[in-house]
Amino acid sequence: MALLVVDNLSVGYQGQKGYLQALEGISFSLEAGKSLGFVGESGCGKTTLGMAVMRLMPSNGFIRNGRIIFDGEDLLEKTDEEMRRIRWQKIAMIFQSAMNALNPVHRVCNQIVEAIVTHSPLIDKKEAYEQVRDLFQLVGLPENRIRDYPHQYSGGMKQRAIIAMALACNPQLIIADEPTTALDVIVQDQILDEIKNIQTELNISVIYISHDISIVADVCHHIGVMYAGQLVEYGAREEVFNNPMHPYTRALLSSYPTLTGEKSHLMPIPGEAPNLINPPSGCRFSDRCAEARETCRRNHSVWLELAPTHKVLCHQCGKNCGQ
Amino acid sequence: MSRMVDPNLTPEDAALLIQEFGLDQPIWMQYLYYLKNFFTGHFGFSFHYGQPVVQIIGDRLPNTIMLFTTSIILSALVGIFLGKIASWNKGKKMDTSLTLGALVTHTLFLPWLALILIWVFAYKMGWFPITGMISDEVWIDPEIGLWTKGLDILHHMVLPLATLFLIHFGSYLLIMRSSMLDTLKEDYILTGRAKGLPEKVIRNHHAAPNAALPVVTSVGLSLAFSINGGALTETVFTWPGIGRELVFSVSHNDYPLAQASFLLIAIVVLLSNLVVDILYAYLDPRIRY
Amino acid sequence: MTTADTGIELSERLQWMNRLIEGWSIYKKNLLGKIGIILLVLFALMALCSFIPPLLDPMYQPMAGVDPEISTATGPSTRHWLGTDFMGRDILSQLLTGARIAFMVGVSAAFMSVFLGTAIGMIAGYVGKFMDTLLMRLADMIMVMPALLVLLMLAALFGQLSIWFIVFFIALFRWPGVSRVIRAQTLSLKHRPFIEAAKVAGASNLRIIFRHIMPNVLPLSFLYMTFQVTSAIIIEAALAFLGFGDPGTVSWGMMLQWVWKTGHMFRAPYWLLPPGICISLITLSFYMLGRAMDEVLDPRLRKEGETD
Repeated sequence: MALLVVDNLSVGYQGQKGYLQALEGISFSLEAGKSLGFVGESGCGKTTLGMAVMRLMPSNGFIRNGRIIFDGEDLLEKTDEEMRRIRWQKIAMIFQSAMNALNPVHRVCNQIVEAIVTHSPLIDKKEAYEQVRDLFQLVGLPENRIRDYPHQYSGGMKQRAIIAMALACNPQLIIADEPTTALDVIVQDQILDEIKNIQTELNISVIYISHDISIVADVCHHIGVMYAGQLVEYGAREEVFNNPMHPYTRALLSSYPTLTGEKSHLMPIPGEAPNLINPPSGCRFSDRCAEARETCRRNHSVWLELAPTHKVLCHQCGKNCGQ
Repeated sequence: MSRMVDPNLTPEDAALLIQEFGLDQPIWMQYLYYLKNFFTGHFGFSFHYGQPVVQIIGDRLPNTIMLFTTSIILSALVGIFLGKIASWNKGKKMDTSLTLGALVTHTLFLPWLALILIWVFAYKMGWFPITGMISDEVWIDPEIGLWTKGLDILHHMVLPLATLFLIHFGSYLLIMRSSMLDTLKEDYILTGRAKGLPEKVIRNHHAAPNAALPVVTSVGLSLAFSINGGALTETVFTWPGIGRELVFSVSHNDYPLAQASFLLIAIVVLLSNLVVDILYAYLDPRIRY
Repeated sequence: MTTADTGIELSERLQWMNRLIEGWSIYKKNLLGKIGIILLVLFALMALCSFIPPLLDPMYQPMAGVDPEISTATGPSTRHWLGTDFMGRDILSQLLTGARIAFMVGVSAAFMSVFLGTAIGMIAGYVGKFMDTLLMRLADMIMVMPALLVLLMLAALFGQLSIWFIVFFIALFRWPGVSRVIRAQTLSLKHRPFIEAAKVAGASNLRIIFRHIMPNVLPLSFLYMTFQVTSAIIIEAALAFLGFGDPGTVSWGMMLQWVWKTGHMFRAPYWLLPPGICISLITLSFYMLGRAMDEVLDPRLRKEGETD
């Protein structure tokens, strides 16, 4: 049974200039112990997706329709109090800017202990502290830095502390939203390894959100490509990476240089993402797509199943996608 | 320098003044005298009281500190507390009334507010004494214990404290309110929500300690302004403190006393700034470590 | 003038006009700002009307006018709409004159302090290094001093203070606050492209400061002027209240001093209340004006939905 099933989720924000449709018709499922990565450019809605699953939308955000079924229960039906108990205990989050994700006036250990104690109120403070020690060991942080304040940590250390905190209540699912974006490549590599280890060792499901497809391909079993609030391609890592079908996916992959293989031209994707307050009625990628036809611009795209685990949201694919 | 002496003094007093302060000597000599006097604690004799100045201001200092410190601490704490509440209820009645209240009270003219309070609560209602720090009978009577004397002082302190409090808490409220609204947008607040912490804990334990920091800074910045208010309050309520002594001595041309009072007030302001700085460093770990 | 210079100036002027128009439309929506302006207009009218009563009848002179029939404090009547003070002088004309004095003191002191503060702030921010440190240390030292009490000491030394002396010294104490803000703004403007362009075009430091930085910093100066007006009015009122104001001017603070010193504060509410209400209200209205202007200048403060 899948741990998380998202069915036809639509989310939007009410802004000064109108209603912004951040997500539309998102559907996917995630098995326990597996990892799933969402890739896309800024503004495609991937962060919103993470927030929506945890129901951490800001006051001007609305979940229009759909279902988020976690461990058999629809999270959208839960009350605030029930959600509060689910958060961190069952689903934890690693944020985009760890730089400021820790409260500067409290010690790191206390912030983690707080997470533990909130969800296990009967636990002894000392025991919680011991757990923090274990967590620090797990993520590779020196024990003598437990009682420090966040500003005394380096960027990489802060990120590890955030990961430690996310693991504190033994969640079943961790949503990692661009956890390595602000770090330099060496630390980035270390953190990614860390996440992979944790995932396999503790058998935790991970949703990894990034704009960098190479990172996602490294860490995740499945990849979902997002564009303009929609999921445009979804499949196993090998399928998406080796056999990208959607024009956007292919363009995305070819805009990254490779270390091995022959030198090929980098091809940036021309144009801009569409305005999500008034999204186009047809395929949202059509005005940037090299393969676009009339049908693409006029009609809503539909899901085409290329393989049992590989599907794509496109008019053209399946018939003949240019190679 | 001798030309600057108040023309209203009689020739004898003027001569005395000139001699005492060496005003007929060249400027650099006067300055040396001044320094010598200053550092040997020789502040002279008060013209008016006929006592050593040090003794007088020594008597007055605790009274000022008592009133001043209590009023600042009270207005800061209440301002922070109410500002927090106002930010939680942003846009609702509680917020509008608190903000409006803060706005109105902190633009009131302090001496006038003091007079109004005296008129209503002391004169008309008779709840509080009109002037002074302690009733004469209570002070003089040797049989009355320290506790009763203390209570009597508190009784006298209510109105001056209320005046200072009403004038000052408003600005702290407004600063705390906007600081809270800013702090609530910070990333670590989102972390707190994701952690499943109850709203109350997030606001009180995570947001408020961070939001209170700018208020502490503001207390420090407005100390000079607060001291002005303190002097005015002491004068209207005849509270025997240094501020009042300064005003009194200036209007009676009691130069030694005026000078010493002013100096002491300046020191009080500087020390208070120091205290506030230390407090801020204590509250913000980013400064401590 | 080089072409680069003219080009910059023209675009700056257009920018300025645009911002002025935009600013006004935002200001109009702010309730506090509207109330503030209405009150200020009322006070301005009061100030203007202050010339009328003495023209009607010499007994309405605020300082010297004495009603031949009344020589004590009396309540409101048809002859004296707000009553008379302890000497039989008309309170309303004193109140009106007070409005005039308040504006005069407030605006002059504010103007002077903002002028000084802006100039010093710009120089400190733009020139930087030693000059900056020197000026800001000076500003710090002055900021820590309680203006009222220093003025008291000056009163002790010089005897009576004239109103212009008071205005001048208030400005001398209030410029540091302005200069800090202007300096911060200058620092952020210093590295913008249009300044670089001016430098490349060969403009001298002084020219850059006054031609390019100043127009961008002026809106902030105006904002601070409103706050300075209030503190100037309050300091003068407090000084007058304590008895150290200019004995020849009838300010609201002076009126309160008379009520207090002549022991009428409990018996004559018609005398006690109006000046205090006026001081408080004018302070409030300038503050509201300042807050509304703040919203215009700082887009983050505008109350427009919760878009993030």
